[in-house]
Amino acid sequence: MPIEDYKKYFDALELSSDAQLSEVRNSYLHLKSLYSNDSIVTSAIAYELSEEKRHEILEQVEEAYAKLADFFTNKDADTAVSEKPSFVVDEELKQYMSGMQSFSGKMLKEIREKLGVNLKDMAVFTKIRKQYFEDIENERFSALPAEVYLRGYIMEYARYLSLDPEKVANDYIERYRTAR
Amino acid sequence: MNNGAHDKKCEIWAIGGGKGGTGKSFVTSSIGTHLASKGNKVVLIDADLGGANLHTLLGVSKPRNSLTDFFEKKASLNDIIVNCGMPDIGLVSGTLSSLDSENIKYAQKLKLFRQIKAIDTDYILIDLGAGSHNNTIDTFLLADKMIVVTLPEITALENMYHFIKNVFFRKLKIILSAHGLKDMIQDVWKNRDVHGIKHLKDVVEHLMGTSAHVRDIIENELASFKIYIILNQVRSGREVMIGSSVKSVCLKFLGFDAQYAGHIEYDESVLRCINKRLPFMLTHPFSHVAKEIIKLTENLKDGRQITVTADKYANRRL
Ligand SMILES: Nc1ncnc2c1ncn2[C@@H]1O[C@H](COP(=O)(O)OP(=O)(O)OP(=O)(O)O)[C@@H](O)[C@H]1O
Ligand SMILES: [Mg+2]
Repeated sequence: MPIEDYKKYFDALELSSDAQLSEVRNSYLHLKSLYSNDSIVTSAIAYELSEEKRHEILEQVEEAYAKLADFFTNKDADTAVSEKPSFVVDEELKQYMSGMQSFSGKMLKEIREKLGVNLKDMAVFTKIRKQYFEDIENERFSALPAEVYLRGYIMEYARYLSLDPEKVANDYIERYRTAR
Repeated sequence: MNNGAHDKKCEIWAIGGGKGGTGKSFVTSSIGTHLASKGNKVVLIDADLGGANLHTLLGVSKPRNSLTDFFEKKASLNDIIVNCGMPDIGLVSGTLSSLDSENIKYAQKLKLFRQIKAIDTDYILIDLGAGSHNNTIDTFLLADKMIVVTLPEITALENMYHFIKNVFFRKLKIILSAHGLKDMIQDVWKNRDVHGIKHLKDVVEHLMGTSAHVRDIIENELASFKIYIILNQVRSGREVMIGSSVKSVCLKFLGFDAQYAGHIEYDESVLRCINKRLPFMLTHPFSHVAKEIIKLTENLKDGRQITVTADKYANRRL
């Protein structure tokens, strides 16, 4: 997609098209919290704020963030080689991994580190932003995108580590839902 | 002959905001003081005809002339600009002796506006009164930069939204009238139930749907319509974010551009200073408040806005 096509996403996040990734992220978090919760800023004009409209805005904001996240990942990836580095899994770890029943952020991180995988390589390979993976590991639920996107990211994460994508995603999403 | 007086463009800034006591006059006088200290010629106009007090904030106890002379004695605006102790700052005082401020005749209003635009200076700052009276709104619309001062308080925000909506509506009305479509907005609004119109944005969308001609007119107007927001009396980093949120609501719900020009923290010395009739910017030049006013003035000059982010502000103490 040419950069002009991303303008509407920058617009949705109230940014100019030369905004940095960190600005995209900050604006996304701010807008998401502004339109998901009540505050004096929105209550003072409640009569202009229909629920549908609010919902529509939240969807636009989510979409814009997801699209721009890809945009930045692709930009970063242009210069990098996207090849999955090979890693050896010893028997003991393999055993442990196949026996895992729950997958908290902390446990995922532990596995990844044991496998010697770094998030940057993973981001380049999966074309998913590193920040997302960090947020998944740290269980920063409020910073994570909507569930549909999140599920996709977790599955990619799991696949990369040779974990069962469905199993990991189901368990993680459940935790995410209860936390919200 | 025009001796080049108008070669340099004079900018008119109007400061309004709906609610009383938000700090409009304090902000106007402080911005004016800063602009003058940077070598600009500034004329401040107190357009709060019902409750003029800008002179007090500038340390003038009894202005020699005021708009009374303009309205009742037919004096020209240029002749009633009074000096207020600081070089390069002139004041048009709004103290009225008898005139009923809401009953200024239409012709007088037009004459005043004409003469305001003709003042030979670098900046004209207009301090508006509270409320959304048509005279207040028309004066606000006179400006090149329309600035609202609001507070992190629900009532102030409510009045501010009401004010800017009225400003926007009035602007649309004026523009459509100029194109011979005088009653269009009223008609649409009167029949809003028929058209399924609930919100301001619906009105605009409905109007734009009526014809390509009307759409062009409105889109043109929307493109240049911009409100600058100043958030005053801020007490925490979290409150700083409110300006960004207001900007977003204007953009997404009201459908027009707003810029967050800056914020000013709450500081008790402001009141102390005002009570002593001392200009704050000169007595407290190194205070946070003064620095914030300098910053927002520069932002307004350049049409820049601030971006505040939760990670930096939400937990910050002022
Ligand atoms: N940043 C600030 N910190 C502390 N107090 C402030 C600040 N700004 C304004 N004030 C207080 O608010 C009072 C009202 O300010 P000001 O007269 O400028 O408001 P206004 O909006 O012009 O009111 P009106 O609508 O009546 O004209 C001031 O007397 C001052 O005490
Ligand atoms: Mg005032």
